[in-house]
Amino acid sequence: MLRSLKPLGAWLARRAENVLVLMLGAMFAVFLVQIVFRYVFNFPIGWTHEISVLLWVWLVLFGAAFVTRESDEIRFDIIYGAVGPKARRVMAVLTAVPLIVLYTISLPAMADYVSFMKVERTAYLKLPFNWVYSIYIAFAVAAIVRYLWLCTQALRGKAPEAFDPTKAGSGV
Amino acid sequence: MSPFALCIATIVALSLLGLPIGHAMIAGSIFYLLLAGQDLSIAAEQLLNGMYTNYVILAVPLFILAAELMNIGSMTERLLRFCDALVGRFRGGLAQVNVVQSVIFAGMSGSAIADAAGTGRMMQAMMTKDGKYPPSFAAALTAVTAVIGPIIPPSIPMVLYALVSDASIGFLFLGGVIPGLLMALAQMSLIGATARRRNFPVEAPVPLRELPGITWRAFPALMMPVVLLGGIYGGATTPTEAAAVAAAYALAISVLLYRSVSLRAFYASLAYSARTTASIGMLIAGALVFNYVVTIENIPESLKVFLSGWDLSPIGFLILVNLILLVLGCLLEGTAILLIVVPVFIPTAKALGIDMVHFGVVVVVNIMLGLITPPYGLLLFVMTNITGVPLRDIVRECMPFLGAMLVALALITFIPELVLWLPRLMGYQG
Repeated sequence: MLRSLKPLGAWLARRAENVLVLMLGAMFAVFLVQIVFRYVFNFPIGWTHEISVLLWVWLVLFGAAFVTRESDEIRFDIIYGAVGPKARRVMAVLTAVPLIVLYTISLPAMADYVSFMKVERTAYLKLPFNWVYSIYIAFAVAAIVRYLWLCTQALRGKAPEAFDPTKAGSGV
Repeated sequence: MSPFALCIATIVALSLLGLPIGHAMIAGSIFYLLLAGQDLSIAAEQLLNGMYTNYVILAVPLFILAAELMNIGSMTERLLRFCDALVGRFRGGLAQVNVVQSVIFAGMSGSAIADAAGTGRMMQAMMTKDGKYPPSFAAALTAVTAVIGPIIPPSIPMVLYALVSDASIGFLFLGGVIPGLLMALAQMSLIGATARRRNFPVEAPVPLRELPGITWRAFPALMMPVVLLGGIYGGATTPTEAAAVAAAYALAISVLLYRSVSLRAFYASLAYSARTTASIGMLIAGALVFNYVVTIENIPESLKVFLSGWDLSPIGFLILVNLILLVLGCLLEGTAILLIVVPVFIPTAKALGIDMVHFGVVVVVNIMLGLITPPYGLLLFVMTNITGVPLRDIVRECMPFLGAMLVALALITFIPELVLWLPRLMGYQG
């Protein structure tokens, strides 16, 4: 059962990356449209600003939820990098449990907030904010699922991969 | 223990145990809201509204993309040839080339890691060919010169600083120009001073009559800083838009002039940039939530009151900040320091009458030096990865350069005019 799910998971992961790339490409394009309209046609448009901010929020939360690998993320690895697989398993459980508990406890309140935001709409496109912000819920649920998975893996005896700081992009 | 102390303890513990720092900050802040009996939804509200309303931060993904696009074209190679024609003829010529190329790259990209990753392999191959330079020296030098990248504009760390301090990105960028050149001067002097003793080779001088041709070939790439900074200071683009222009320009010259970009490579750089954006964005998201906790606990103000009891002079405070940031730089990732630690100092700096642009440049230089200080120095890791030279050897070769750059840092700290002269020339009131 699990084995047959693996190719599907890999396929979904690739599609998720395609979506993320599309978001960044769209953000880039929208910026160019904005600049061209303002300075070439002397006709400032507001919706480009809105779309680019929206894409930024989604880029980060969608990316963090469905695309970033463990090795992409920025962490403090002085201890994590120095210890062996056994200690990493313990550490994985010790961090996953509080994260799962805190994210789960807060989930109803977060969902309330997001659905409450339906009363507000964005300035230009009049999109209801509960749509815009719904990605947070996806992010939180994906994080809970991811850490449940990492936690069970660690308990079953599979240590999380050793961390490579050069793979984590921090932009500095 | 107070809710705030427990919150800090949670974040520190989770981070030390290896949870990504962004998640650790979100989880710790939720824990705080729980203990303090506040509405848990505040975490989502702070995160989402903060991300949605801070428009300047959009420069970050675009600058990352610009740097990536520059690295896939053959621009790098042409620039290296240009630098070689310029300074290769001196003793330790290739080492000087390494510094000059970093200055030029600094004017195009805002990320030190991208600079080192982009030119590192090529520089290493050039410098170690036929045993010209020891591999450890070559690797260390590439790490050290990449530090200049985000000091000279554009600069991703400066965008992040602008986010937490409300200082103008345009003036911050201008403020970085002289300090960046000063860092380059410090490095070139050190190379010049040791070149004879270490018997560094001289490159075959490129005949001067070839210089116009080589310059012409590199010209479109050399124009990038002019396009970028001209757009910002000419008032044509906001700094955020300038980032998009930079990316478009890099793409255009790679595709149109150098014809060296495949669709596959373009996709790969978009994918890498998008992943990097997500990981740095998580850190920003976490910092937005955590900074809410820090603010309602009044921590920056308390620090201000506490430090005013010490009767610190502005210089004394700057020295203290330098020391704290340099120590933290040895242990922590630079973006995390910028987003979590630096905001705490800002009210005190303001109260002491320290200029926010000056403070920003000093902070960014500190963060950059943190990239080459062990045990946690990202540039060191990148160069070890690329070259296979053991970390220890790279660190040893870095130390003299670190010393030279600390002298430059001291000058920048004590003489604010070095930072502020150029912004004031362009109309900065401060």
